[in-house]
Formats: sequence, structure tokens, C-alpha cells
Amino acid sequence: MFETVRNAIRHHELILSFAVRDIKARYKQTALGVAWALLQPLSMMLVFTLVFSVFAKVPSDGIPYPVFAYSGLIFWTFFSNTISGGTLAMTANSALIRKIYFPRETLLLSVMLAGLLDLLVASLLFGAMLLYYKITLTAAVLWILPLLLVQMILALGVISITSAAHVNFRDIGHALPLLVQLWMFATPVAYPTSVVPHWLKPLFLLNPMAPIIDGYRRAIILGTRPDLEALVVSVLVTLTLTVTALAIFRRAERTFADVI
Amino acid sequence: MSDITIELNNVAKRYWLRRGWYVTSIRDEVERLAARLLRRQVEPREEFWALRDITFSLKRGEVLGLVGPNGAGKSTLLKILSRVTVPTSGSFVVHGRLGALIEIGAGFHPELTGRENIALNGVILGMSRREIQSKFDRIVAFAELERFIDTPIKHYSSGMQMRLGFSVAAHTDPDVLLIDEILAVGDASFQAKCANKIAELKEQDKTIILCSHNLTNITDHCKSVLWVDAGQVRMLGETDAVLDAYLQHVTAAMNAEAEHAHQQERAAFEGLATIHDVVTLNAAEQSQTRFDRGDRVLIDITYSAAQPLPGAVFGVAVQDIQGYALGGVVTDPDTVKITSPVEHGVLRLTLDPVLFSRGAYTLNVNITDPKLKRTYDLKRRAARFAIDGPRAADRETSGHVYYPHRWDSLR
Repeated sequence: MFETVRNAIRHHELILSFAVRDIKARYKQTALGVAWALLQPLSMMLVFTLVFSVFAKVPSDGIPYPVFAYSGLIFWTFFSNTISGGTLAMTANSALIRKIYFPRETLLLSVMLAGLLDLLVASLLFGAMLLYYKITLTAAVLWILPLLLVQMILALGVISITSAAHVNFRDIGHALPLLVQLWMFATPVAYPTSVVPHWLKPLFLLNPMAPIIDGYRRAIILGTRPDLEALVVSVLVTLTLTVTALAIFRRAERTFADVI
Repeated sequence: MSDITIELNNVAKRYWLRRGWYVTSIRDEVERLAARLLRRQVEPREEFWALRDITFSLKRGEVLGLVGPNGAGKSTLLKILSRVTVPTSGSFVVHGRLGALIEIGAGFHPELTGRENIALNGVILGMSRREIQSKFDRIVAFAELERFIDTPIKHYSSGMQMRLGFSVAAHTDPDVLLIDEILAVGDASFQAKCANKIAELKEQDKTIILCSHNLTNITDHCKSVLWVDAGQVRMLGETDAVLDAYLQHVTAAMNAEAEHAHQQERAAFEGLATIHDVVTLNAAEQSQTRFDRGDRVLIDITYSAAQPLPGAVFGVAVQDIQGYALGGVVTDPDTVKITSPVEHGVLRLTLDPVLFSRGAYTLNVNITDPKLKRTYDLKRRAARFAIDGPRAADRETSGHVYYPHRWDSLR
């Protein structure tokens, strides 16, 4: 973990360069360009609003459902894009890995950095929605920063394992979209935590993303602090996972060039 | 500070072979795990040692040539030194910044422009952004791509991409440089530029490992040579000695091949005439294969003819060790008159003085009809000889041919 931080600082230019490359390459020869970063959560929000609010009448803790859904979706989209991009990061750069040495985790960090830009673009619309629904921000909004940090550490842990595994077993690439989708439905993105039945709560809270997504909503829309108890569990799970994952990644990266 | 910049100790690299190169799948792994848990016999994987017991060290400013047949382990060695892969056992150290002219342009992204790719590739190769900024104009100028620098490189020709790749890599200013076959990049003028760049780096006291199948490049640049064969050090030492042994080894295989080809070709040549033997002799008519430049060299061709071949022409062609033709001589139609069947004819060619530079050479000998249309017999690599003398890397000569000459200071 400390070594990753040290590498991230020492190789920040490399991480930045990879991120710039990914962003530039992603939107070259597209008519809409970076607006695509908006369209993904936006279209999901419309679908969710229709299905969960208009058809199924899922409660949303008194928040207008579109804002409710969008607030979860932009952060979830960042998470899921990081995971799908990060998992494929090694194989997508196989030509580089086979030929040049550089710390491989820079590729993972750059995926996150590039995703952060998309998150920023998507939150512009979020700002507009908050204005439209006359929701005022309070100091609690600062909770976003630690929440985002935990989310990113968690994502780093996940992709450290999945990207290394994908080098050996391309099955991961096939299984992952499905797993991410399942994970989303295990996370209060489309529904509030309050609808989770009592007997399922302990299991539910083992999902480290649950209190994070819930926390964003509280911090931004309700102006309250996250559910700290649940968050502590989430942080512990996250740290355990990521420290282990990085150790695994560090072992696995030694043979990437031979196997990829 | 010690002078050693590269040091390897018993470096070895093992790969697992199983259904091709390290191909494995979850199913495969689960099956193996299950078998192990059930204490059944697990089918052992086949191992392949790409490198074994590689030990050598290089001092600052040394230039080492790396030779060996394909698959000998040269690339694996360079990969280990450049830290792309880790050795299975053994240890190595490289002091200073390492640069690699291996698979140049590997980090290029086709959608990005030349400018963007220089920035990206430079950082991947370990330069800082500021450093790239300051060297940018020189990199572009060296690659000769000023006009196209803001074009996505997917529109570049492959030569242009290689030039850009070489240029970025050559400007990383490394202390240790690994070079793999890059002297074959681009057109003739760019190749000359690359050779100049290497010479420049040599002057700056860089430690260089040069891997090439072009032995002329090796003799031109290297003081010592490492010959790897089947993953092991076959020979390590002074350039001439190692290359000579290497060539002897390579030509031995080629000679066997040539003999086989000769047998097959002879059938097509109707067997009207046969070249039996070609030997090189010194001025005292004693068989000899090593000469000094300027010596008198006699080449005796033993032949036979089954029937009269009026006007038959003999030809001797000289090639360098790579098989590149350097020139040849033929007899006039009336030099040798085969008016009746010949059982044991000997024709002597005298080269006096022999004007080849240091190196090894082979001879092709043929007999054809006067119009050079029909070949009666052809013997490839019929003989081999070596010339000692100043190495091409010394200032006096380069290339294969020495010109008799005189300098006069007129004013």
C-alpha cells in the first residue's frame, strides 16, 4: 500500500500521461466527445426513473426520484467504469507490458484518474439538477471527499486482483460485466437503504459500496453525515481487501510479460 | 564508485511449456488443483530454459555485441536487463539510467498525433515532461517529421513510425543502452543517422549492449562479444576471436547445407562438367585459409568434364560471411580449352595482392557455357578464407575492400 503511494507520487507524470492518452483516444473521432460521459448516467437515470419510480413506485426518502437516482448513478458509474477499464488495463496495454518496464500499477491509477474526469463532467448536470429542484448544499457536502477516497481505494483493490487475474484467465473479462451489474443491485443506487428488510441488513452492510453511495446522498441532498457505523465497517473491509490485493498484484506483475 | 555498470550472476529464466507457450485456463488450473487434492498424479509441465547460468559484467563505456542464432535467448536476456521480466534464478544489477532501443515505438497510440505520442512515449521511457519539452524540437528534427507532427500517427507510414520511435528512444540520454536490431530502421540515410547516433553515444562513454544478426554492425561497434547458444554462454571475449568461432560454427552448418544443395543442383546441370574441389594456397603453394591483406592468394579449382566443352567459362565469386556478393572474376572463353574429356583438370586463380579487409569470405565457383546461359556446374561456398589485418572499427578502413592508394600533400 505504502509502496503504491510512493510509486504514485514518483510516477505521477506517467499516470497523468496514460490518463491523458486514454481520455484523448476515447473521444477522438466522436461527434459528441466528452458529452458521452454525461449520457451514460443520464440515460440510466431516465430508465430508472421510469421503471423504479413511475412503474414500481420505489420510495426515495422524500427526495425527487431523478435527483435521488442520479446522485447514486454518477458515483456508481465512476466505480463501474473504473472496474471495467481497470480490469482490462493490463491486456489493453499488452504491447507495452511485453516490451517496456514501468510500474504496472500506474495503468490502474491512470484508469481511475481518467474516470475522475468523466465524473466531473457528469456532476455538472447534477449541479444543474440541484438548482432545478432547489436543493441547497450544506457543509456536510465535504463528506464527499473522504467517501470518494474510500471508493477509489476500494476500486483499486478490486482492479488489482481482477486485472492480474485477467492476464492469466480471460474468463474474468467475460464474467465481470455481469458481476458489476449484480453488485449495483446489491448497492442502494436505485433504491434507498431504508427499504432493505431488517434481516438482510448485516449482509447488506458487508458490501462496502452500500454506505458510500448512501453517504453521498446524505451529504449532498439531505445535508447530513453518512451512517458512520456502517462506514467504519466499509473502510475496514476496503483496507483489508486493498492491502491484500496490492500484495497479490505485486507478486503477479513479475510474470505479466511472460504470460500476457 | 565502481566502474561496473552491468553485472549478472548465474541468471536463468525458465518458461513452462504446455499446449504452446504458457497457455492456461481456469478449467485447466481447477483440474490440476482437483487432481492434487485427490492425490492423483499431476501431469508434469514441460519446462523450457530460455537462459541458464548467464554470468558476465560490463564496465562503464564498454560496448558488448550479442550474437547467436534465433531462439538462443538474446531477447530474453535483453528483457531481463530492461526489467520487463524477472529471472527465475540468479541476480543482476544495472547501475544508472537504462535505455532500450528494443521494439521501439511500442507505446505509441495510433489515434494520437506525433506530438502527443512523443510526450507519452517519452514519459513511458522515463523522461520528465520538462525534459521532453526541452528536447522536443531535436526529437522531431531527428525523425524528419516536422510537417506531420500534428497528424495522428495511424496515418504515418511504418517507416515514419519507426523513425519517430527511434528518435524518442535515442534522446532519453541513458547511461546503459540496450540495442536490438534497430540498425535496420528506415531508409539508407536514416540508417546512417542511426549509426552516427550510436557512435556519438559510444563517445559519451555509455555502456552499450548491441544485439544484431548483422555481424558487420557488431565488428564496427563492439570491442567484445557474447555468443549465446541454447540459452547458455557459448563464448565471451574479444570481438574477432568470438566472431571467428561463431562464423566457423555457422558456416559448418551452412556448408553441409550447401553440399546438399550442390548434389541437387548437379542433377539439373546435366553433369557435363564437375567441380571437385576448391582450395586456397599461399605463395609457397601450401594450403592455407588465413591470409594478411596484401598477400598473394592462389585458388586452385579441380574439375572434370565428361565431353568436350569448347569455350567453357570458369567463374569465381567472392561473398562476405552474410552471403553478400562482393564481386567476381570470370575466365575468357579461350583461357581453358576443353577440347576433349578431362579427368583431372586444375585451374589456378591468383589474387596478388589480395585486397580484402579483415573478415571472413566464401567463394562460389561455377563453369558455364560461353554465353553464360547454361551452367555446367556450380559449387556454392566452395571454399572459405579469412583475412587478418586492421579491424574496420579502426580508423583506417571500413567495408570489405581495401583500395591501394597514395596520399600527397600538394601545398
